[in-house]
Formats: sequence, C-alpha cells, structure tokens
Amino acid sequence: MKTSELAASLTAKFGGRILGVDEFPGLLGRVRFDPAIATELFRTFRDDLGFVHLSMVGATDWVDHREVFYALWSDTDRVYVMLSTNLPPDAPTVASAVPIWPSANAHEREAWDLVGVRFEGHPDLRRIFMPEGYAYHPLLRSFKIHEPEDLEVKVRSD
Amino acid sequence: MGPQHPMTHGLWNLRVRIEGEVIKDVEPEMGFLHRGIEKISEDRHYNEIITLMDRTCYVAGLNWEHLFIVAAEQALHIEPPERAEYIRVLSAELQRIASHLMWYAAFCQDLGLTTPFLYGMRDRDLILDLFQSYTGARLTYEYMRVGGVRNDLPLGFTDRCRKVVDWLMDRFVEYDRLCLSSTIFNERCNGLGVLLAPEAVAYGVTGPMLRSAGSHRDIRKDRPYSVYNKLQFEVATANTADVTGRYLVRMEEMRQAVKISRQCLDWLDDNPGPVMASQLPRWLGAPYAPVGNEAYLLKRNYPTGLGFSMMEEPHGEAGAYIVNDGGEHPYRVKFRSPVLINIWAAKRYLPGYRVADIPPIMGSVDVCVGECDR
Repeated sequence: MKTSELAASLTAKFGGRILGVDEFPGLLGRVRFDPAIATELFRTFRDDLGFVHLSMVGATDWVDHREVFYALWSDTDRVYVMLSTNLPPDAPTVASAVPIWPSANAHEREAWDLVGVRFEGHPDLRRIFMPEGYAYHPLLRSFKIHEPEDLEVKVRSD
Repeated sequence: MGPQHPMTHGLWNLRVRIEGEVIKDVEPEMGFLHRGIEKISEDRHYNEIITLMDRTCYVAGLNWEHLFIVAAEQALHIEPPERAEYIRVLSAELQRIASHLMWYAAFCQDLGLTTPFLYGMRDRDLILDLFQSYTGARLTYEYMRVGGVRNDLPLGFTDRCRKVVDWLMDRFVEYDRLCLSSTIFNERCNGLGVLLAPEAVAYGVTGPMLRSAGSHRDIRKDRPYSVYNKLQFEVATANTADVTGRYLVRMEEMRQAVKISRQCLDWLDDNPGPVMASQLPRWLGAPYAPVGNEAYLLKRNYPTGLGFSMMEEPHGEAGAYIVNDGGEHPYRVKFRSPVLINIWAAKRYLPGYRVADIPPIMGSVDVCVGECDR
C-alpha cells in the first residue's frame, strides 16, 4: 500500500474528518485526524488495515495545542504508520485506545502523567512514573525545570 | 515484591494479590528510576543526548545510541557513510550478546544456579574489553555521533574480535549443556509464564518474549535499518511460549549475532574509508554558542523535520520519535521502551501461577528498569 492509497481509502470512509495524510520517509504515512473519530479510526486500522500492534502513544505540548501521536505496526504489510491529532490545551481529551489495543493502557498512562492528556474511557488512568498527588505534568513547556518544588507524596492505602 | 527485592533486577514494585499460594492479580508499579530523560533531551544538543542514551539502558547502551542516532539523522537530514553503519551494526550485535549474557547470568542466579552466573559474567567481560579498545569505556560509551561514529576501529581489532566470537560460540554449547540438562532449570522453567502469540500481540509484547511464542516478527528482518538488509541471519524463534522458550530464543539470538558480527568484520576489513559524514553543519560539533555573539547564531541555518526509528533492541522493539522544529535542540523526544510494556503485560501472564514462580517468570522478561522508567 502507498501513502496515496491510504489517503484515498481513509477519505472515502471518513471524509473531511481526515485532516490530511502526509508523506513520512520510511513509514506508510502520517495521518492527521479529528479527535471525534478516534475510536472509529482505530478500529478501521486494526480490523480493516491489519495494524494489530500499537507500538507507541505519546503527546507533544505545542503550547497553543497538544498533539497526541500513535505509531502502529502491521505484521502483514510490515510497515509502520503514524496517527496524529490536535487537542485544545484547556481540555486535552481524546478517546482511549484501550478497547482496541489493550497495550495502550501503559502508554496512555504515561502520556497523561507526563503531558497531561486525558484519555476518555481508560480503565485506570493514574500516573505511572511520577508519584500520585504530584502537581505537575513535567513534559509541558510551562514546567520550570530548574525550580525546586514542594513534593507532596500521597501513599496509597490499599 | 519490591522495590528492593532480588527478583526485580532494578527498582520497581510488583503488587501481588494472592489466594494461598496462587497469584490472583498483579500490578506492576514503575517510576522509581525516572530521571526525566525525555525532558532533559529538550534542553540538549543532539550529540549531548547520546550521553543520556547510555544511561537509558545500561546493559545495552550502544543499541540505544544507535536507535537515537538513526532518528536524529532522519530529523536533521544527514546521511552517515557506509563504514560507520557497519561499525554501528557490529557494535549493536556485540552489545546484544553482552546484554543476553548479562541476562543469562542474572536469570540463572535467580534459579539458584551459580556456575552459569559466573560463566556469563566472565564471558561478557571479553566483549566489554573489545568495547573498551575502541570506545574507551566499558559501560557508558558515548561512541556514536550524528553523521557517523566518533573514531574508527583500532589496528588489529577485527582479528581480536574474531577470536572472541569464536571462543563464545564454543561457550554457547557449554551454556546449553549446563542449563538444559539441569533438573532445577527444567523444573522451574518448563511450562511457566505461558503467553500465546495472539495475546502477546494484543498486549504489545515484543522481542524474545513474542518470538518464543512462534511469531517471526523481528524489526531487523521486517523493516531493515542501517545495513541489516545486506546481512544474512535467521530470526530465532521457539514455540513453547514459556520461560524455556525465551531462554532458547536468546541463546539462538546470540549465535545469530555472532554470524552478523563475522560478516561485518569481513566487510570492515575490505572497505576502509571515512567514519564521519563530511559537510556536517558546524553547530552540531560546537556544543555551546559563544555568549553574546548573536551574529554567529543568526548565520546558522537549521533544518526542520521528523525523525522516527524502531529497532530490535535485546529486550524487544525500541523506538524513538524526534520532533525537530528548527534549532539546536530537539523540540520533543519520545522513546518507546519495550520493557515497560513487557512488564505491564504481567497482568496477563502471571495470574494462575504460584508465588514461587514469580522470580523465574519475571526473570525471563529480562527487566532493565533504566529504559523502562527513562
């Protein structure tokens, strides 16, 4: 499959909700999509296009918006594809990929912990690296790296 | 169990819910070794991040340097010379053997077999000696650079390296005899920690754990990077999907790594040449801009781009994604850690076994918390 074929098949199904399919050297492409169709798009990629393996989920803080990106791998086509969606910084929420790929669980917890993106429908959205009760999301650009901070650690009671 | 339990091999915690001796549910807890490598990377020059890569996985430093460098070169639009690529692949494969030997030693120690532990550590030292002879370090190499590698191999290196890998090939036979004929090993490994291929794929498990379930997915073969498409090797697989299967896959991977190393050594003998790209932008080599000399800064021409690399690291599928928005530092660096996902999938492969089975099962995952927590 080529990038243009992927673009054609996705646009036929989702229309204007696919904001663009960019060339990405070494990958099938970079699909920019509207967060409203996240779950449908994930299901299309897994069931129809054969991307059975969710390789990574991460987020970037662009200050005026937050970008969430996904890398998928297909065992049949032996190719990676990248998905990317932009979220508003005041309500960075997107549907969770856990119902489609169980492995998204740890990835999404990491993206929530470090970049502060919320994943709707995640079964257990807690911090993964920073302690529970920590006030910041360290990978945000507003995080001051050189300032000492008051660490308040809550200990889980169970 | 943890964070300071001999089973964990690093700092992480496993909450285990049990009923008598039987495991009902587990929950891995991470973050004890989080150093914010992705955050620090945003504040560093590309060549300075290589220092962090050695600390990301401290038993497979060169694999992580390789991973980052390939993504960085894509983001900066730089082509390394072919000789540098061969040296990188040779380094990565030797590092794979060293990492698997470390795993072999620690895993057998967990089972109570002390002889393999001593053998594994002894033989890994030979590879560290090789690394020392051309990188100057035994653990934190800082050897690869954007555009190539720091220096060429020293005189007589290829012959020394051949001697070491020949010697190792004999030792692999001995390792197998030691373990597979041991009653302790068989009783504690056969049929434990079974994770079948469909579940492994769904849970994102990669590397030797996935290939022990019969899958043939190996990024070196499926999506060749560097010069892997010019090298002959087989993908090591097993079909038992248990702890013994993971042992067999890693042993075979070491033999295949020797095979790849020999081909690289032959090529390097025949093809002398440069190991750094010419025409590198000057700011890549000069780590700090002269203070107060803004005119010097303004003259610079920064490219923009995205870099993406995925590699078959000793533990599984490792990835790097670099966003370069024009500047001396990357805007965002994201790493995919195979160990984090392989540990997290313990929710799937631990329940049903007994508490005493946890050390061999988690040992077979080959945990490296440095890359897991980053």
